[in-house]
Amino acid sequence: MADPEARSKALFMEAAKVLTHPRCVNCHPHDDQPRQRDRAEAHNPPVVRGPDNHGVPALACGSCHQDRNLDHARVPGAPDWHLAPIEMAWLGRTPAAICAQIKDPKRNGGKTLAQIADHTAHDKLVGWGWNPGADRQPAPGSQERFGALVAAWIETGAACPAEEKPQ
Amino acid sequence: MIALRVNGTEHTVDADPDMPLLWVVRDLIGLTGTKYGCGEALCGACVVHLDGEAVRACVTPISKAAGRSVTTIEGLSKDGNHPLQKAWVELGVPQCGYCQSGQIMSAAALLAKKPKPTNAEIDTSLAGNICRCGTYTRIRAAVRVAAGLPKEE
Amino acid sequence: MVARVADVSMRRRSFLQGLGLVAGGLTLGLLDEAEALAAPPAKAGAKAAGAPEGLSPNPFVHVSPAGEVVVVCQRSEMGQGVRSSLHVVIADELGADLARVRVVQAEGDKKYGDQNTDGSRSVRNDWVKLRQMGAMARTQLVAVAATRWRVPATECVARDHAVWHDRSKRTLGFGELAVDAGKLRVPDVKKIQLRPRSELRHVGTELPLRDGPDIVTGRGQFGADVKLPGMLVAVVERPPVVGGKVATFDATKALAVKGVRKVVELPTPQGAPAFQPRGGVAVIADHTWAAMRGRAALSITWDHGPNEIYDSDAYREQILSSVRAPGQVMRKVGDVDKAFAEAARTLEAEYYLPHLAHAAMEPPAALASFKDGACEVWATTQNPQAARTEVARALGIGEDKVKVNVTLVGGGFGRKSKADFVSEAALLSREAQAPVRVQWTREDDIRHDYFHTVSAQSLKVALDKDGKVTAWRHRTAFPPIPSTFDATQKRPSEGELGQGVLDLPLAIPNVQAEAGEAPAHVRIGWLRSVCNIFHGFAIGTFVDEVAHARGQDPRATWLDILGPARNLTPEEAGVKKIPNYGTPIADHPVEVGGLRNVIEKVTELSGWEAKRKAGQALGLSAHRSFLTSVAVVASAKRGKDGKPVIDEVWIVADAGLIVNAERVRSQLEGAVIFGMSVLFHGAITMRKGAVEQTNFRDYPVMRIGEAPRRIHVHVVPSEARPGGVGEPGVPPVAPAIANALFALDGTRHRQLPLSAKRPG
Repeated sequence: MADPEARSKALFMEAAKVLTHPRCVNCHPHDDQPRQRDRAEAHNPPVVRGPDNHGVPALACGSCHQDRNLDHARVPGAPDWHLAPIEMAWLGRTPAAICAQIKDPKRNGGKTLAQIADHTAHDKLVGWGWNPGADRQPAPGSQERFGALVAAWIETGAACPAEEKPQ
Repeated sequence: MIALRVNGTEHTVDADPDMPLLWVVRDLIGLTGTKYGCGEALCGACVVHLDGEAVRACVTPISKAAGRSVTTIEGLSKDGNHPLQKAWVELGVPQCGYCQSGQIMSAAALLAKKPKPTNAEIDTSLAGNICRCGTYTRIRAAVRVAAGLPKEE
Repeated sequence: MVARVADVSMRRRSFLQGLGLVAGGLTLGLLDEAEALAAPPAKAGAKAAGAPEGLSPNPFVHVSPAGEVVVVCQRSEMGQGVRSSLHVVIADELGADLARVRVVQAEGDKKYGDQNTDGSRSVRNDWVKLRQMGAMARTQLVAVAATRWRVPATECVARDHAVWHDRSKRTLGFGELAVDAGKLRVPDVKKIQLRPRSELRHVGTELPLRDGPDIVTGRGQFGADVKLPGMLVAVVERPPVVGGKVATFDATKALAVKGVRKVVELPTPQGAPAFQPRGGVAVIADHTWAAMRGRAALSITWDHGPNEIYDSDAYREQILSSVRAPGQVMRKVGDVDKAFAEAARTLEAEYYLPHLAHAAMEPPAALASFKDGACEVWATTQNPQAARTEVARALGIGEDKVKVNVTLVGGGFGRKSKADFVSEAALLSREAQAPVRVQWTREDDIRHDYFHTVSAQSLKVALDKDGKVTAWRHRTAFPPIPSTFDATQKRPSEGELGQGVLDLPLAIPNVQAEAGEAPAHVRIGWLRSVCNIFHGFAIGTFVDEVAHARGQDPRATWLDILGPARNLTPEEAGVKKIPNYGTPIADHPVEVGGLRNVIEKVTELSGWEAKRKAGQALGLSAHRSFLTSVAVVASAKRGKDGKPVIDEVWIVADAGLIVNAERVRSQLEGAVIFGMSVLFHGAITMRKGAVEQTNFRDYPVMRIGEAPRRIHVHVVPSEARPGGVGEPGVPPVAPAIANALFALDGTRHRQLPLSAKRPG
């Protein structure tokens, strides 16, 4: 693609297939309740976000979720299992909206673009999306490919796609 | 062999590292107050404290408890005199009683962090504990009484 | 083999002592119930070998020379509070000090009479019997004191754990009298004098929760908590389809799991399911985890058998078709068809409720020790006598070779009346030549339950031009409980229709009830309040629909349809017999006034009229079951997220005389939550003959956040014969709340549950 901006937007749209995947958005809710499965069902048991995104006393994320998947109990797990901060909510949002959030340090956990590239490529909780355990559908591709897409998107100027017209 | 401390006593158990803490406590150590209810972290009957934090023993691999301190319902107090245990008896909370050790262990973890919880906080912290007999309104009241609050909000 | 740290032999001993089964504790009365109640007095001084010293006039009560009164609880404790209630009836009749009464749990034995703890029957059936047991002991103690004092027995009274001669200010403690009393002839139960009600000091009061301190410290022993030296644990993979069996299995990988000892195929049940184990393949291991991992490693192919056709979507249409056509007429007054033809208008509605699982928090578990041709069992059972019979049958030994000990039951709701899991333990203990505990997982519990039946109903009324109901027709179709015992049973039985259909008082000139065909493809069981759940839901909702159609306050419609206070007769009802939960209507009539009264009371307490006028969304329903009338009002609101919230519930019950007011209240509170699970959550569905749900993830039940802010309980003061308490609170809850939701948003709910979960 000759136009770097167009190429950057296209790269983001490709990465967005991961960002909007249930394995990712389920823990990026815009409210206090994580989601489950492929249609944004409420988490059962009905856990809540808590003050630090790690749940509440007696029902912290780590009260059930381990640092790896537990196939015998169908409980998914990865190191430091928790919800994304509410300002990083992606659930129900368009790629354009998520793109703007990711570039905004106020809504991306205070990260630089370089830190985002590193986070997407190496974070173990992010990586869970491709190894979700039980019969869960993994996010498309691999973490390595996702990391490469995000890195390429940043290299090409981190352009955001236009808001889709409502269908 | 894995070493852990349960209710202040050192134990060494010969168990597979993936064996859930629940079965170590019940079958190997012989403390049966912690109950099996679902095996999938859905019901809370097996809640114990691991270094003071509430965990579901049915999904806690014993390897995670290695070298750490576990408190079960049997170790919550010396003579059943934890304020929650007293409130539970005073208000006649239990029906069949099977879920109640998990309920109390969750409630104890809540009060340790929030000594004066609101009803909403009680509900969210105990959301992981099922009582099929339906003692929920009394559980709320007993947590409040144990916290020194009036029975009803 | 893994080392066990606990001293199991000590644990066993203390457990046995806890149950009073170590010599020196428990009376060994030999009379069975019928003899105890009706036989001529036993020979003076007759005592079983090894029986403890003191007074043991019957199997229920023993007074020791030290003055301890030991009372047997012959019913199973599963949260309804029998262990905190029944002994008080005996103790009060005896005149004992409750602080000096010890309660021991009975093993399964016919000498105690009926021990089957379901049907809300413990107090309603045993009230008189328990008083007689206490009165027998009192009569003997008084007789000894009177003889010693040389005064007439009529001048002596038993109270505060002693016999008193007030005129001469003399007193003798029960313990001082026990040995001599034990030498007396056992009095004829028909001739003994029961105390006036006013002397039963504790009956009807708020009694303490006896097992509370054990439960809150983890000491209470449930089915899976009993241990024996050398005990193994088994987990069983059962055929996914009822009537199916193992075709082939490969245990190689299972046997390779560390701790797995043995893999055993269980026998395939023959004929109707009844209480037989389901068959399948058992993995026996050193501990529960190894057994579970071993089972997961099994490779089994199944022969599913004819029930593989069972599909809940198709079956739903099948039973709805059944109630869209005439069924077998079970109740008939006047001519409903003529009335429908002549009506100003008619109203008709269909209701569908799914299979439910009991999902008690404690999954089934039993420990059996088979040795030298005899078997001892410890089980979480509601029916220890049935467990004894089933274990004997499964092992092919006499019942006299089987002993069934009853643990605390971690929720029963009817599931644990069935002894299939107990027989599994017995068979596997014989196979393993060691004590074996069978542990059901939650998945086993959900998939291999005796399900509450799926049901379809059609209700139709005719209204005249003034809105008066002139005809009422109720069609119901569901796989009946008798099908579990006899595969030819394909229609609702009279007993099941007696749960809300045949016994519903209707001041309507034309009434008809019909039963439709519905063959069973799973094991159908009884679940807390049984057919009253769906009959009560349909009736309770339909009355509200009629009220709405008439533009009338639902309370007025309820009272109008029930008609004036009277006792319902079979003639008025248009039935041969009102089943009445096994109690003759002469003894315990269907009192319409009682049902009217609870409706009036619950609407008064809830502020029905004022709140409705103020625009609050309230719903009302009422139902009589197990001889008890209950009415419920629920208040629905919008939560912060816009979703409906059940804010407050009022429940009023007339259960006749009650024994323990505190446990009655807790049962009614629990019934509200149980009824809410029925309304909102539970559904068992079948595909290819197998249950789709697995665990609380897809068979959700109520959690604390959904519980009403307040549940107000009122029990109508009454000295009438006791009715049931454990079950009757449940039926009116779901319709009252559904009616409140209708008042909130105008949506009528005729199919449950409201938040259906698909598996996954």
